[in-house]
Amino acid sequence: MEKFKHIGKVEKRVDAEEKATGRIKYMSDLSFPDMLWGKVLRSRYPHALIKKIDTSKAKALKGVVAVVTWKDVPGLNGFGIVVPDQPVLCEDKVRYIGDAVAAVAAETKEIAEEAVKLIDVEYEPLPVVDDPIKAMEPDAPKVHDDGNIHLHTQIKRGDVDKAFKEADLIVEHTYRTGRQEHMFLETESGVAKLEEDGTLSVYAGSQYPQRDQLQLSRCLGLNPRKIHVVSYPVGGAFGGKDELTIQPILGLLALKTKRPVKIVMSREESMISYWKRHPMIMKYRTAVKKDGTLIANEVKIYADTGAYASLGGPVLNLAVEHSCGPYRLDNVRIDGYCIYTNNGVAGAFRGFGVPQVTFAMETQMDIIAEKLGIDKLDLRRKNALRRGDTTPIGNKLTTSVGTIAVLDGVKQTDIWKNKDNIERVDHNRPWIKRGVGIALTSQGAGLGIGLPDYGGAILRFRADGGFTVGVGLVDYGQGIGTSFAQIVAETMKCPISKVDVILGDTDLTADSGPTSASRGVYTGGRASVIASKRMMRILKNKASDMLNVSEDQLEVDNATFYVKEHPDIYVTYEQIALEFLKEGKSLPKTEGYFLAPIADIKIKDAFGLPHNIFSFSAHLAVVEVNELTGKVKVLEGAEVVDGGTVINRQGFEGQVEGGYVMGLGYALTEDVLIDKGLFKTLNFSTYIIPTSKDVPSKIQTVPVIDPEETGPYKAKGIAETVMCATAPAITNAIYDAAGIRIFKIPATSEYIYTLLKEKEKKEYADSH
Amino acid sequence: MNKFDYYRANTIEEAIQYLDEFDKDIKIIAAGTDLVVRLKQNMVKEKHILDISRIRELKGIYREDGKIHILPLTTHSEILESEEVKKYATVLREACSTIGSPQIRNRGTLGGNVANASPAGDSISALFAEEAKLKLLSSEGERVISIEDFFTGPGKTVLKTNEMLVDIFMPEMTEKEIGFFKKLGQRNALAIAVVNVSVKLGRGEEKNKMDKAVVAFGAVAPTVVRGERVEKALISESLDSPEKLRYIAQLAWREVSPISDVRASLKYRQDMSINLLYEGLLELYKNNWKG
Ligand SMILES: Cc1cc2nc3c(=O)[nH]c(=O)nc-3n(C[C@H](O)[C@H](O)[C@H](O)COP(=O)(O)OP(=O)(O)OC[C@H]3O[C@@H](n4cnc5c(N)ncnc54)[C@H](O)[C@@H]3O)c2cc1C
Repeated sequence: MEKFKHIGKVEKRVDAEEKATGRIKYMSDLSFPDMLWGKVLRSRYPHALIKKIDTSKAKALKGVVAVVTWKDVPGLNGFGIVVPDQPVLCEDKVRYIGDAVAAVAAETKEIAEEAVKLIDVEYEPLPVVDDPIKAMEPDAPKVHDDGNIHLHTQIKRGDVDKAFKEADLIVEHTYRTGRQEHMFLETESGVAKLEEDGTLSVYAGSQYPQRDQLQLSRCLGLNPRKIHVVSYPVGGAFGGKDELTIQPILGLLALKTKRPVKIVMSREESMISYWKRHPMIMKYRTAVKKDGTLIANEVKIYADTGAYASLGGPVLNLAVEHSCGPYRLDNVRIDGYCIYTNNGVAGAFRGFGVPQVTFAMETQMDIIAEKLGIDKLDLRRKNALRRGDTTPIGNKLTTSVGTIAVLDGVKQTDIWKNKDNIERVDHNRPWIKRGVGIALTSQGAGLGIGLPDYGGAILRFRADGGFTVGVGLVDYGQGIGTSFAQIVAETMKCPISKVDVILGDTDLTADSGPTSASRGVYTGGRASVIASKRMMRILKNKASDMLNVSEDQLEVDNATFYVKEHPDIYVTYEQIALEFLKEGKSLPKTEGYFLAPIADIKIKDAFGLPHNIFSFSAHLAVVEVNELTGKVKVLEGAEVVDGGTVINRQGFEGQVEGGYVMGLGYALTEDVLIDKGLFKTLNFSTYIIPTSKDVPSKIQTVPVIDPEETGPYKAKGIAETVMCATAPAITNAIYDAAGIRIFKIPATSEYIYTLLKEKEKKEYADSH
Repeated sequence: MNKFDYYRANTIEEAIQYLDEFDKDIKIIAAGTDLVVRLKQNMVKEKHILDISRIRELKGIYREDGKIHILPLTTHSEILESEEVKKYATVLREACSTIGSPQIRNRGTLGGNVANASPAGDSISALFAEEAKLKLLSSEGERVISIEDFFTGPGKTVLKTNEMLVDIFMPEMTEKEIGFFKKLGQRNALAIAVVNVSVKLGRGEEKNKMDKAVVAFGAVAPTVVRGERVEKALISESLDSPEKLRYIAQLAWREVSPISDVRASLKYRQDMSINLLYEGLLELYKNNWKG
């Protein structure tokens, strides 16, 4: 294998110092002279008609500079990545409790808060649509005029009915998953400001500045070139800042007042207002032969997307694509429904539909292994997709497929090695039971068929002989800036300290698509390689001129070109830069553009699937279950991950551990509870994310690498797969420990306790 | 947040003067870990806030006449560091170790936890088991009451508007006494108790016999409650088998009157009152009633 200086190494994050010292300015920290504070009036009802909006009292309040309603929206009063069905400010109807109805800009935050209370809105409440299954009935009250089914995606392959007739075992269960919230530390916040030249600057953390710019231009009726979006730094996103949030309202207020306007949302407002992970109800019927061969899968998925579309359609489609796991299945019937309700809004969230179906499918696999008496790893290996196979939805796998590498890697984990030696019943406290669980998953990286998928990078050569790379993606904690610095340094043969990275800025960076779908390293990284190679050619050419030797006599290392035969004859990058300047030329700038390859088939009427590049991972858990309380403790975790080449070893581990902990919360405690459209969990006090005391002291990371030729240095991506199978690994471990099957997550202590009681009752009844 | 005037007292005397001056319209703030949350939610109606956090006389731990005194401004972290508490108030110590997180324990005070009167206040149920007494002071004089008589409902106490809590004291645990504090939360830190149980037992002469038992449950009634039926059974029976302990623990069912909320259902709280008690007793039993 090629020897690298930077790729695969532990590299300090390029943003470590400014973040650790607190020097970095997040958007919520920004302040401008003459700045106003904005505040949004949210709906009073989860579903209602708006009869009248009276802003006169609010406008009369001293210190209020502007009050805006739908009438003030200059462009299209709607946003949404796929369908712009969400009003910037509602006109005649509200569809969830976080719907924005009006907004205020005032001299102080307190006045703004006071003012929104003075806005009189007359509503006519409508029946609340809170059950996605009932919402599908023809006579259900409608959230949108054209019905509550936003999308139905169907996939049929093979002869499912015949396969079920031939099955030796049929496993049939219904699964339910919770409404997970991203809980980024920085709530949706930012500042909009009208510049002297008429440009509107919007500073708000998000995942795709160029798309924000386009969406804003449509809402605000402005030439996109007159909108400057800065979306980095971001205090966490996890998918929750992929769609627009407060940006259109900020823009509207800044245009109206001609003064900078800032909004910092409270946790409670953030909770009710924006995206969550789709709760799904999933009905699975799986047909298997005695030897463990999967022969058919029938899957129905009902995804509650809440009041507006946002990315609900693509999320459903990714769930559909991955609903059968990374397994060979030639007879499938999959029906996915994405359904409107008045339950908040759901949208993009790390994993994008895959954590839900992985929970279901991997529980099915665990049940099958048990029923047939087959080893859990062997069952998965037997059915695992390999390169060249056709996936359950019908596309051919032509790229890297790491299933077998991952399953082999499982045997190297400490958990697997020690699994037969754990103390299954605690000696001193026999009500404590322990067990081990495993789950496998894969995740399509990139946007899938129907959504153009590309990476872009601009590389600038600097007077000091260093480089500045500008990529439109953002670093929201995953460390992508550092990865780009490593990739450029590796390709440009220079120290990392010579590379500066600019992210998320419509003026300074190249459009590289959204920072989502585990695609950042793959697309932006590949574009950076392309830009770097172009730059290298230019510099080499110059060096050969300066040294008076032909290019093929030149070697390059440590930011210096030297003559192969005479290493003492050399020219440094800095000298090359000076030479350009001396000649009165501008320093070279290159661009890299990479159009991602796509899958070989299209699914009728569906978009965002199939994918072409996949990452794979196996997740393991050792848990203990307290039978007296139902409390589960995860004692140890491990992940075996194939994301292609590892770019930054430390970043890789950070992703795995973070993903595991997010999956743990998803499995055991995290759920935004909504009752009749009203939120019951509004902040960290009742929305329970794991603390350092709730996570295992050891989460082992085992990278296995199935290189992907089209990726930068053969890398793919890992950002999502690292959380997708943690929940079923844990719930399968709970079964192994205490003999109760978990069909619903989060599996709270109370839920587990209830299941334990039921089991006890059943055992009692069976024995009498 | 509503507006209020802020005052700071540097001595107990000053504090009492302020309380008298704004009688009925003044609220004490110690570390504010409870009060600031309520202020932000506009749940404090008083227009004057009295900061007592700098009153040196209200901070500290000492022993006197077989009692251990913990002054109200003592933080949970200070309680955890105290050698005296480690020896003589083990149930309280266990309770304080489960409160919030290091940050909350470094600021939050014992007096604040008690005066806040949450039915889920973790130190409160422990102080029940420790048979603590409270000293209350006003310009009219001081009075000493048992912790059990202090609470009248959620967030409600017998404190008069011009009165403050100035001392919390309890008998030192003896060699013969053992106990435990058990808390079930939705996670292992920063968790409000779904149920907590505090128990202090005095070992009798005979094996598996107790001559003293104090039991309290938190988060299962409008205030922390004593488990008198459980106590009676614990001292009258021979605690000689897990089955016996289970049977006794089931009496907890008759002690608690919980409600359902977003954290847990009534039924679960009921069962957990039993099971936490059972688990704690069982652990002691398996350890031969050694603490
Ligand atoms: C994140 C978080 C986690 C928490 N976790 C827990 C937990 O796990 N368990 C738990 O029990 N609590 C918990 N709490 C609550 C709180 O931290 C504790 O109750 C703490 O001990 C309160 O002390 P304080 O000094 O901050 O009280 P303050 O907030 O200052 O006061 C609380 C109340 O007591 C009154 N008061 C204070 N001192 C006196 C006095 N000397 N005389 C008369 N009245 C007085 C005040 O007027 C106020 O009504 C948590 C709080 C937060 C914010």
